[in-house]
Amino acid sequence: MSGDVSTDVRGDTARAIAAGRRPRRWGAWYVALHRFRVMRSYTGTVVVAGIGNPLIYLYALGVGLATIVDTDLDGVSYLVFVAPALLASAAITVASEEFTYPIMLGYKWNPTFTGMSASPLRPTQIVDGVVISVAVRMTVNLVLFFALILVFGAAPSPIAFLSIVAGLLGGLAFGAVLMGYTSTLEEDTGQLAMVMRFIVLPMTLFSGTFFPLSTFPIWLQWIGWISPLWHSTELARVFSYGYSEPIWLTVVHVAYLAALIVIGWAWSRRIALRRLNR
Amino acid sequence: MTDLTQRDPVRPGARSRPVRSLYAGNARAVMLRGWRATRSTNWLVIVSGFFEPIFYLLAMGIGLGTLVGTVTTESGQQVPYAAFIAPALLATAAMNGAIYDSTWNVFFKMQFAKLYEGMLSTSLGPLDVALGEILLALLRGALYAVGFQLVMQVLGLNLSWWALLAVPAVLLIAFGFASLGMAITSYMKTFQQMDWINFVMLPMFLFSATFYPITVYPEWLQTVIQALPLWHGVELVRGLTTGDVGWGMLWHVLYYLVMIAIGLVFTTRRLRALFLD
Repeated sequence: MSGDVSTDVRGDTARAIAAGRRPRRWGAWYVALHRFRVMRSYTGTVVVAGIGNPLIYLYALGVGLATIVDTDLDGVSYLVFVAPALLASAAITVASEEFTYPIMLGYKWNPTFTGMSASPLRPTQIVDGVVISVAVRMTVNLVLFFALILVFGAAPSPIAFLSIVAGLLGGLAFGAVLMGYTSTLEEDTGQLAMVMRFIVLPMTLFSGTFFPLSTFPIWLQWIGWISPLWHSTELARVFSYGYSEPIWLTVVHVAYLAALIVIGWAWSRRIALRRLNR
Repeated sequence: MTDLTQRDPVRPGARSRPVRSLYAGNARAVMLRGWRATRSTNWLVIVSGFFEPIFYLLAMGIGLGTLVGTVTTESGQQVPYAAFIAPALLATAAMNGAIYDSTWNVFFKMQFAKLYEGMLSTSLGPLDVALGEILLALLRGALYAVGFQLVMQVLGLNLSWWALLAVPAVLLIAFGFASLGMAITSYMKTFQQMDWINFVMLPMFLFSATFYPITVYPEWLQTVIQALPLWHGVELVRGLTTGDVGWGMLWHVLYYLVMIAIGLVFTTRRLRALFLD
């Protein structure tokens, strides 16, 4: 770069260093960009699922099931009650898609992470990039879902749009921890299928999604208390229709979700360092 | 593919005796192979599939049941909510198991493991392969059905002795979905196309009178739902477990018999076109 004469070699070195500088700084975004390009191969699926699934669920539960659940819950109609919960569980669905097989793919099956870490990118940046890209996809899904909730007239509160943030927090909280777990797997012999069956499904069913958690006997309620989905659903309900709960409980929801995100993210970064730097 | 056609002369007259060339009467070999492969790799995944309807039954039956109380079935019978959804979950479990086995599993074996090419280059014919795979899926369906029936019995959700017939009914449903699923899979080329199967199954699961009677829907939507296979399955199983039995239920049985026949014919023809012709 400098004006030195006879410095072909030095010029190349300088260029190489300069070329490495930007990835060192913006690497996470480069990784995110790569993930977006990968996602483009299934845009159709994302869009159809992003609009189709909310429509089907809102109609089937909010309109169909509502006819036999004739009691008002929390003083609102069943549709208004169930809508924020469906929004929150949509984020969980995205998390369980994006933080499982794509992570296995990156480390093992089609080792793009190994390839990336052979470039100036740091392993931690790879993890950050994946989280960024999923957060963006999740936000897009949540905004679409929220728009449909508005169409159904199921979000009465003026600050209802904040339920998107609640959903995002919940999705990332579960997703970050899931990513940590998936990163530890050297081989998939059905563990991920087990996660879907014994964690994601029960979490969806027992987190106060379709009816208040208090309907359950106390020995089943703990599932909700530790479930990121329950915390994000309750938070979304506060925003969406002004569900009344003590303010400290709202703080607990946010703190719990934030803590899971930090822990899961840090864990994933640690494993990335261990697996990619060996 | 080319080497397969070259191998054809080894089996002279294969084309002149159409039935013999399609079926060697040895579907059992295909089934046994699948059973062994399952036992050595993913038996835990298979066993765990049994818990899925149980989770639904617990969550919706206990949780929602306290809010809903009883439901009036289409024939006017009042049943507890858990007894209303349990047969629907049983029928859905049969569908899910059969579809999973006959789509993802078969797709993988066909496109990646190249399993059928190997099988068809032996004395096995396409109908052996189709029947073997489907019977394996049925075996899995039977395990789930019996297990879930026991749970229903313990929870007191079988309201009649007719419920004993629910197990063969579930097998009929699984047979229908497995043979149709395999036929459809044989036309699929990529994983992305496989995703479309979910887009059909989710609304079918939620809308087919699973969690509430379909009378809440407008007329045209009811007609659409009644044309779909899962609704017939739900009605059939629910009729049996609640003891609401009538001659009209034979229509549901007929629906599945036709579905099985169509699926088998298409799968066999397709496998033959793909690997033998």
